[in-house]
Amino acid sequence: MRAVVSLFIVVSIAIVMVFLLIPRDRIFENDQSISKLSGKKDLLAAYKLGKLKDLGYLDYKAQKEICEINQASKDCFSAGSSEINELIKIYEKDGYTINKTEDGFYYVVKDYKTSRLILNFYSNLIKIDHTGVIKDPNNLELERKVYFAKDHNGMLSIKCSGCENQYLLYFNGSFPFIHQNFIKLNFGISYPTYIGLNTFSVISNKQGELKNKEITFETGTTAKSAINLHSCTYKMTEAIDDLDKAKFVNNYAKCTSNYTDPSMIEVSYIMGILSLVFSYLISIPLGVVMAKERGKLIDKIGIIYVNLMIAVPSLAFIFFVRNIGSLFKLPDKFSQLGFTDVRSYIMPVIILTLLSTSSLIIWVRRYMVDQTNSDYVKFAKAKGLSEKEIFNTHILKNAIIPIVNGIPSSIILSIGGAVITETIFAIPGMGKMLPDSIKAVNNNMVITLTFIFTALSVFSLVLGDVLMALIDPRIKLDNKGGSR
Amino acid sequence: MENKIILSAKNIIVKFKVRNRVLTAIRNVSLDLYEKETLAIVGESGSGKSVFTKTFTGMLETNGEVTNGEIIFEGKNLLENKKDKDWEKIRGKKIATVFQDPMTSLNPVKTIGSQISEVIIKHQGKSKEEAKELAIELMEKVGIQNAAVRFNEYPFMYSGGMRQRIVIAITLACKPEILICDEPTTALDVTIQAQIIDLIKNLQKEYGFTTIYITHDLGVVANVADKVAVMYAGQIIEQGTVEEVFYNPKHPYTWGLLSSLPQLGEKGKKLYAISGTPPSLFEEIKGDAFAPRNPYAMQIDYEEEPPMFKVSETHYAKTWLLDERAPFVEPPVEIRQLHERLSKMPSVKGETNE
Repeated sequence: MRAVVSLFIVVSIAIVMVFLLIPRDRIFENDQSISKLSGKKDLLAAYKLGKLKDLGYLDYKAQKEICEINQASKDCFSAGSSEINELIKIYEKDGYTINKTEDGFYYVVKDYKTSRLILNFYSNLIKIDHTGVIKDPNNLELERKVYFAKDHNGMLSIKCSGCENQYLLYFNGSFPFIHQNFIKLNFGISYPTYIGLNTFSVISNKQGELKNKEITFETGTTAKSAINLHSCTYKMTEAIDDLDKAKFVNNYAKCTSNYTDPSMIEVSYIMGILSLVFSYLISIPLGVVMAKERGKLIDKIGIIYVNLMIAVPSLAFIFFVRNIGSLFKLPDKFSQLGFTDVRSYIMPVIILTLLSTSSLIIWVRRYMVDQTNSDYVKFAKAKGLSEKEIFNTHILKNAIIPIVNGIPSSIILSIGGAVITETIFAIPGMGKMLPDSIKAVNNNMVITLTFIFTALSVFSLVLGDVLMALIDPRIKLDNKGGSR
Repeated sequence: MENKIILSAKNIIVKFKVRNRVLTAIRNVSLDLYEKETLAIVGESGSGKSVFTKTFTGMLETNGEVTNGEIIFEGKNLLENKKDKDWEKIRGKKIATVFQDPMTSLNPVKTIGSQISEVIIKHQGKSKEEAKELAIELMEKVGIQNAAVRFNEYPFMYSGGMRQRIVIAITLACKPEILICDEPTTALDVTIQAQIIDLIKNLQKEYGFTTIYITHDLGVVANVADKVAVMYAGQIIEQGTVEEVFYNPKHPYTWGLLSSLPQLGEKGKKLYAISGTPPSLFEEIKGDAFAPRNPYAMQIDYEEEPPMFKVSETHYAKTWLLDERAPFVEPPVEIRQLHERLSKMPSVKGETNE
């Protein structure tokens, strides 16, 4: 429960900071459409207000929209008509600011209050797909049902008619093998970078070139295409063209494509997990040996290494190791060899591994030393157990508890990627997404990332505690007040 | 004593390396331990009580070393054991140790049962099931009720007194010849202390092991011990039977120790305390180590170390006062009256019993 509250607080703070403290003009600094519109004052204002509305800053309605909503007569749409004057008064009472274009058309604007900003974010956060989602005036006979069917691969899946997505649940060969579309997190639209895409899609969608393969569509036509049939969503009847009709039997024709390269999350995660595994493989044995041989040569060498790693700035270290890599003809930019070549990963993984070893070694050593000095080890020795027996059956289990506690967070947080390393190697991963979006004033992306990182770290802490409760008999999960 | 000697330590010297300086913790100590007797080693903190007994099981800290002497046990010199592997046949199996703090002596993340059975498996070569049966039997013997259930519980589910019972059960698991109790009751409250001491006493009768008590609680000594050795600054300065040491002490340090018994305190009067502090063991000690604190010190005490003077067959003391050339010094009034005062106060003997 406390986990959810802390997540809520952190994200709310981020929302307030991003929406209230960043000057609005800065959002448009990187938008090229702005320069095209310069000189056309009204169009520019309308464009900006429209964008701000999309981003959730404010509510903006042009005269045309006001008339449509209120189902007014044709008269309403002309400038300065009496009908619009009446309608405007209602909006004025509601707290909207009334503006007029040069041509005399009205438009109304209302800034959202802080509380409304936060409310909007959370009320739109979770999108549940159901049979009543699609409202298509041109396709009133649309069936509304959820049913089991075989997909194009012959696998069983849950399909839907009337939902946003055609496939609600399906299996395929890519991780995590079972995929669902019932519930989606919606963080808003990305702007001004990756314009128009859902922020979450930006980091989770595949990258790179289109991956074409032979596909037989439901209509029977076979073509070389990169379309991902599982991803198809509803397309309004008015937008359906002949090409769609040739491929699809129904309105589910808005599909995304298959790409050759993994998504940002995946890229960061692959490197993160690899380096994590390596650093644990190196650090735990080394820390253990150092604790065993305390004060001897290997311990001293290890401590020198740890001190060195802590003392040298990581930026300098990364460049240094990268240059060593260049000596062995390893690429110093990820794009040189790309995703498919193993050599692209070697240097980043080595650097990430080495960077995390130092603290891990010193912690493992510390836990081990703590345990070897404890009374129960002395007593175990007095019992006549050998050093090896004491180590294997007594010390290890005690020392491993705090280490295990940290493992889930290390695994999960490696999704977050490594900011500096990814920037230096120009790796298309998650790590540099946050600084990039802050620089580009991509507010929704910043909030999205804040949400994801906070949720993950809270979740991993809880998971760490659960793991600890499993191996430490002194800790039980059902203790009152024991929840985080 | 008609009993035979079970362990004999001769001229033991133990040195520690502390921050590039050498500390001599045990300075030439000899001791004979007789079968089935209970020996209490008393002395203030830092006098070397624990260090001395640790040499019997090779449990000295890594910076410590026995530089001289021999410990004869079962016809062999234990100090010839260089590797831990040799010691493992002694530790737990022949000489077991109960440590001071039961709260930390047990591994917090292993079940009580597994900690008892691992010793049985290791030293008696029993199977897991046999070890479990024996362990439950032992737990019942040390007074754990519902042992079969509690076998699978963890130390944190046990109280301090019960943990010490478990520690004792573990040490008894292999029927040791010698049980070293290193301040076994210091961390426990008074009622539990009495229970634990009674438990050890009864088990000793049943199993017939030899016990060494390390304590600074003279009440416990009077209660349980057959013999007493008083240690000061890394040496045994007086040893004898309880009666001899308590009622006919010869060394001025023993006088001081006994005079400061809180049981002798009278209302309105300050308790007696030995003035000064023990000498630093980093420097070589010339003469009698107790001389600077000794109100009866003579010139020779500062110049030459006294030998062990024999008082009776069992009673020895290391003080120049016993030399025939020394002037006759009467022990202080408290000591001369100790016998009658203690006999008036059954509480000294009774205190730890009830």
